Formats: sequence, C-alpha cells, structure tokens
Amino acid sequence: MKSKLVLLSIVFSLIFTNSIFADPKQLVGADANYGEHLFGECVTCHNSTGLGKGIPKITGMKTSQFITKILAYKSKEKENAVMQMVAERLGEEEINSLALYLSKLK
Amino acid sequence: MTKIKRRTFVGLAAATTTALSMPSIAFGALPRVVVIGGGAGGATAAKYIAKDSKGAIDVTLVEASKRYYTCFFSNLYLGDFRAYGSIGHNYYGLAVNHGVNMVHEWALSVNNAAKKVNLGSGESISYDKLVISPGIDLKFESVNGYSAEAQSKMPHAWKSGTQVQLLKNQVKGMKKGGTFVMVPPPNPYRCPPGPYERVSMIAHQFKKSNPTAKIVILDPKNKFSKQGLFMEGWQKHYPGMIEWISAETHGGIKKINAATMEFETDLDTFKADAASVVPAQRAGRIAMNAGVNKGDWCPIVPASMQAQADENIYVLGDASIAKSMPKSGFSANSQAKVAANHIRGSLTGSKVFTPRFANTCWSLVATNDGIKVGANYKATAEKIDKTSGFISKTGEDSNLRKATYEESIGWYSGITSDMFS
Repeated sequence: MKSKLVLLSIVFSLIFTNSIFADPKQLVGADANYGEHLFGECVTCHNSTGLGKGIPKITGMKTSQFITKILAYKSKEKENAVMQMVAERLGEEEINSLALYLSKLK
Repeated sequence: MTKIKRRTFVGLAAATTTALSMPSIAFGALPRVVVIGGGAGGATAAKYIAKDSKGAIDVTLVEASKRYYTCFFSNLYLGDFRAYGSIGHNYYGLAVNHGVNMVHEWALSVNNAAKKVNLGSGESISYDKLVISPGIDLKFESVNGYSAEAQSKMPHAWKSGTQVQLLKNQVKGMKKGGTFVMVPPPNPYRCPPGPYERVSMIAHQFKKSNPTAKIVILDPKNKFSKQGLFMEGWQKHYPGMIEWISAETHGGIKKINAATMEFETDLDTFKADAASVVPAQRAGRIAMNAGVNKGDWCPIVPASMQAQADENIYVLGDASIAKSMPKSGFSANSQAKVAANHIRGSLTGSKVFTPRFANTCWSLVATNDGIKVGANYKATAEKIDKTSGFISKTGEDSNLRKATYEESIGWYSGITSDMFS
C-alpha cells in the first residue's frame, strides 16, 4: 500500500512539474548518494520531520522548485544570509545531486 | 536474522551490561565504533555512522546522562523564552530508530594499544574506531577564589542542567536594585557569544521585575563576539543597566570571594547580589586520558577530525582544536558528519566525500531581536579554514531581527531532531 502511494506520488510529480530540471533523469552529474551526504548539511536547520517553525520544510519540495530557490539564493536575489552562504558553495553537481536525493524522499 | 531484526535487537539491548560483554561473539566480524559523549558531536556521529552504514557497523554511544539538556538555548530558558523541559532530550531515537547501543555510564579511561574503553562499572568495550566528543571541563582554578564548592553561590551554568536552573532562581530572587556580576571566560571557550546573550537574557528579566538592577561584566578579554551588535542592543533595550568593563580597564580579576560575593580588581572591588562566573576551559578529561590532547585541547587532522596523536581516535566539537571554527553545537554537528563519513569509509570502503564544514550561531538580545554570525569552512593541511561568512548588521530592520529569532527557533528544532531522532 505504502509503496503504491510512493510510486503514485513520483508519477504525479513527474507529470506536473514543468521545468527542464524537473525530471530527475536529466539532472546533470547527479548522484543520489552524494545528495544524501550533502543533505546532512541541510538537516542541521531544516527539521527532517517537517515540524520546524521559522525554517521551512524542504522534504517533499518539487525538484524544479528546489533548484529555482537555491539558484536565487546563490545569485543573492533571494534574501537570507545563511541560505546565501549555503548556496554559495554549491556547484551544479551538488545542486543536482541534492535535487535528485530530495526527489526520492517522501 | 534480517538486518532490521538485528538492529532492533541492539536497540532493545541498550544499557544492559549483557550487551557489553557479548558483542564480539554475537555480532561476529562487524566493525565496531564507540562514541564517548552524547552531545552535538557524539550523538550526531553515532546516528550518522549507524544510519548510513545500514547495519554494517556496530555503534555504541557512551553517555552518562539518560536525559541531555542542551547548552544552546539554556540562555533562552534564563530569559523565559523556553521552558526547561523543552531543552531536554533523550536517546530513544538513537537506540530505536538507528540501533545505537546506548550505554549510560561514564567512560573512565582509554587503552589505546588494546583499543578498549573502560567504563565506570568496570566493564570495557572494544573499538575499531573511537570518537571522543566529551565537551569541556572547567578550570575552576583559573579564577582565584572560584571552585566547585563556590559554583552554587556563583553558578557557571556552562554545562546546562541544574546549574542553569540555579542561576535563574538567583536572578529572579535578587534584591531590588541590586547588582549582578558576570565574569565571562577567557578565549578559547564554548559558545563565544554565550556570555553576552546570557547578560541580555538576565537584563530582560530585570527589565520586567527589577528595573533598577545593574549588571556589571568583568571581562578577562578586551573584545568579544558580536560586540557591536550586543552593545547596540543593550543600549536600545536596557539603557543604563549594563556596564561592560574590559580587562585593560579593570586590570584583571585578582580574587573573588564567594562568601562575601566580592570581586577584587585593580580598578575597584565589586560587590554582587548575584553572580555568574564562567572560568577558563579545557577538553573533557577523557581526551587527556586517551592522550590525544596537546595542552588543554586536542589537535586534529582537518580533513577527517582524526586525532593527530592516534589515527583510530576522532575528536569532535569543543574538545578539538578545529581552528578557525568556533566551539559551538553547530560546529560539533558539522564536524560529526565529516568524521562519520570518514569512519564509514575506512571501515566499510564506502565513498569518502570532500569534507565540508559550516557554522551559524544565533543569539537573542531581547524579545524578537535575534542576531547571527556564520561561516563556511574547508579543510586545508594545517587547519579548518574559513572560506566565507556573514554577520548581522547594526541598525537592522526589526522585521529582519524577528525573522532571525524565529529562524533560531527553527534551527533548534532542526539540530535537536538531527541529533536525537
């Protein structure tokens, strides 16, 4: 039952996303293991169970949404000193690996 | 036996001496990691090694306390922004969710040659890799007249728990219009902005219920973390209440007297109605026993957090010399993930990624007035080098300060979930 739901949600997210980045298969240089490792840096602040207040939940975020936000912090269009610093040292391989790993999380 | 069953069994066996005496037989050739200290460094390391190795490494965490009160946010408890219970955490998640074998005992000594940790009960545990994350010990003798006996009159409250409860009680009970004396520690010490956030939270209490009270800071330093930001906030929220006196101004604290509550300096003798004295610090004693220290702290290999003195031992958090990272819970959590990845790689051959370190320290100056400082770091041959950073600015908009405070609440929820669940 649970695995069917997961599968459904993956199919759903693939159909309804509209960016070139949306399909995790097209994430250049992406490595889910590397993404999982890098995700360790995120969960120091972003509560992995999604109960955090004051810092948004990132699990369950659409791939395209995640990439758009990270790039906006990287270019400093989006304000937040901590996130700008986090995004600053993420290259394409890191961003895509995180996106791939996040797309596999519920 | 399936992996799940085995891990469940380890969790259920937590804290029994049976589990200690049988592992090499019961778990065969599984490599063993022992972690000493269940704080931001040790709990994180134990969790990530167990979680990421998926049962391929046997992980034991030795931590005397069954309930752990975080040092970070203990100042918010002082200011009535947190309930005491909300900064306490247990190890249920590590044992049940990740199969970490919890041993609630003191680690007394390390036998490096035999690769064993000797426990207070007389049992010993073998390791292939040992993580030492003991936090700090206090050098009471660094302040003339201060001692373990004097700590109930002038709480240091630098290891959270009962001392913080006592300090809060003394702050709330201080006579009207009285003087509170704060003695911060000399560098390097746990939580650089901590003493000044503490002063802010005590001032916040006085503003509510004892508005003519004064706070005198007798600092052994001539400058401090986030100084401009704190000074601005004190002027704004608590005008005339707080006096910071630098070392070059008071000329050094010659002697304190816990019975008369007097602080003797070159400048004057200060009489306190309540006080907090935070002495100089050093790495927790077990690090000295393991011989991985050089003086008060433990030199590490920046890329892995291995002790320079013993490649089978890793030292995390406050006990390490992780220059240029500050001694903070965030730093320890970050270092733990680097060490966990390296340990797993060396024991199971899994991929070791380029180490990435980060830190952010939030402080609360007054209601909805949060400030922060943070940096990214990378490992070089000599040190953990800062690559970029930020700090809140003076004169910031009140909405941004409120958002920064709310962000700190989110961070607390995040890091404690990362450590304990």
